Amino acid sequence: MKIPILETRELRRYFPVRTGIFLRKSGDVRAVDGVSLKVHRGETVGLVGESGCGKSTVGKTILNLLKPTSGQVIFEGKDLSTIGRAQWRLLRRKMQIIFQDPMESLNSRHTVGEILEEPFIIHKLGSSTQRRAWVQELLKKVGLTASSIGRFPHEFSGGQRQRIGIARAIALKPKLIVCDEAVSALDVSVQAQIINLLLELQRKMELSLLFIAHDLSVVRHLSDRVAVMYLGQIVEEASSDEIYQNPTHPYTRALISAIPVPSPKNIRDRVILEGDVPSPINPPSGCRFHTRCAYSKPDCQRKIPKMEEVKSSHYVSCLRWRELPASMIQIP
Amino acid sequence: MPDPVLKVEELSCGFNTEDGYIRVVERLSFDIDAGKTLGLVGESGCGKTVTALAIMGLLPRPSGHIEGGTVFFRGNDLSNTSTPSLKEVRGKSISMIFQEPMTALNPVHSIGKQLVEAIHLYEPEIHRTDQRTRALELLTKVGIPEPAQRLKEYPHQLSGGMRQRVLISIAIAGNPDLLVADEPTTALDVTVQAQILELLRNLQTNHGMAMMLITHDLGVVAEICDEVLVMYAGRTAERANVTQLFEIPRHPYSQGLMASIPKLSAPCKVPLPVIDGIVPALDNLPSGCPFSNRCRYSDNKCEKENPPLMDAEPGHQVACHHWQSLGK
Repeated sequence: MKIPILETRELRRYFPVRTGIFLRKSGDVRAVDGVSLKVHRGETVGLVGESGCGKSTVGKTILNLLKPTSGQVIFEGKDLSTIGRAQWRLLRRKMQIIFQDPMESLNSRHTVGEILEEPFIIHKLGSSTQRRAWVQELLKKVGLTASSIGRFPHEFSGGQRQRIGIARAIALKPKLIVCDEAVSALDVSVQAQIINLLLELQRKMELSLLFIAHDLSVVRHLSDRVAVMYLGQIVEEASSDEIYQNPTHPYTRALISAIPVPSPKNIRDRVILEGDVPSPINPPSGCRFHTRCAYSKPDCQRKIPKMEEVKSSHYVSCLRWRELPASMIQIP
Repeated sequence: MPDPVLKVEELSCGFNTEDGYIRVVERLSFDIDAGKTLGLVGESGCGKTVTALAIMGLLPRPSGHIEGGTVFFRGNDLSNTSTPSLKEVRGKSISMIFQEPMTALNPVHSIGKQLVEAIHLYEPEIHRTDQRTRALELLTKVGIPEPAQRLKEYPHQLSGGMRQRVLISIAIAGNPDLLVADEPTTALDVTVQAQILELLRNLQTNHGMAMMLITHDLGVVAEICDEVLVMYAGRTAERANVTQLFEIPRHPYSQGLMASIPKLSAPCKVPLPVIDGIVPALDNLPSGCPFSNRCRYSDNKCEKENPPLMDAEPGHQVACHHWQSLGK
């Protein structure tokens, strides 16, 4: 059995809701509510779900940018809640993040050279000439010209800025990168370029990726395994081919059938979900999806479903998955 | 053949900037028939939204202006009409919905107030007591649950999908002949996007209105459009009906766009075919064909001459010197 590079066990992150003039705590937003995930070396795990389902919070909690409320994050066999600051500093090199909007995540007053040199300075690596050379090498790796070094982020297009974000993330040769909607803001032709870059870097550097996105086609293209999140919990997890060919959870089915397919002859019958995602402050009892589920039975309002194995390495959390009609989704 | 609802001929427009005049849309021609949907597709900055604003007479003044061409709406020339008479048309006969419903709705007025305002504007003869009934009717039509409750609420109390529904209900309050939808589902989740597309389709069948849909998502185009116009750098790259375009894309740009979308049926983790480079700046377009610097098939002729729109087959036009040797 391979040991995963990253594992989360029953990870929870709540945000307090405060009301009234004394800001008394009146409840919790349960953004992440018991997420268990594994990412193996060199593997990409996709995390999909609608806005507000907690997928970004999972990413940030893994990197300790947000402290977990409870549960464990285990990286290379170490429980991250038990380690001290010095060890954290070492670990930070191995875990990086790429954000959606590179304009907001890059310091607009620093040149590209300064932005890319900063990780080495923080971690006290190399002499200044050496660092310069490393920066040049990074630029080459992500497909930017050496002349970019003295320019500012605003002088670049969205796709090029995302390349700078990626260059910064791979600067310290990390083991794991969390990509939080890293290609969502880009145009189609640029998006494909960045996807290819991520695939190439992953192959060359043996990177593990946690790819968080709402675009299911992109996630499928990049991922080995996909986990579907709904209201702070994972409802289904399987290899990316399996989950798209044989989606089992009613929510996964609805999500997949909602993807607009660029082929006018293959307009499918779709499962259109009614209503909106319920509030994570007061999630529905029992199965959290029962309020929007077409197959919901009275039992679903009471019993909390557990993750069950559909077949090898395909897990679903639905009380009625055995009784559901065979999936009607055809992939064109 | 009845006349098309909207007929745009050789429309060019642009902006005066500090660095001189920049042409954003060049000689764009298309028409939309009643009950049909035209999709305007292209990447950011290709002039999709500017085209829509020009048609509605909403280009920011004084910097933006229509340089040439005509816009006929039901036979009336809108580009020559003075602003007061444009007001008659705009909103009531042609209405528009935007990408971000939060910025399009007024945050300090209730949904009901904003709806009634639109109803009063389009149908001033409706008595005040009936306006509320009409507002309720509109909200029900766009599928909003508990409409009476929603009328009292403010935009921030609604979800993104609900806000977009409210915006649509305001847009259809005047029973428009043409609905211009600028990226109506881009800010929404896929499941909500499916709901909104379904709603637009139903409204269209029930009212027979024409629709101009601006989007960058080819999936959405395939779902809902009848005709498609692919724009690149402010010009028409290709124009076809939706089946023709998706079956045999003729322009190298359309081909590249389609190839670069990750598909559910393709093998995963393999490199996607890409269009190299980035969209050129509008004030620094390559001479000749605007796509020539990114095109695989580009040669001398492409760098010198801007290709005209040529007929590839009936109803399918393409602006490429080499279309005959491509796409086979």
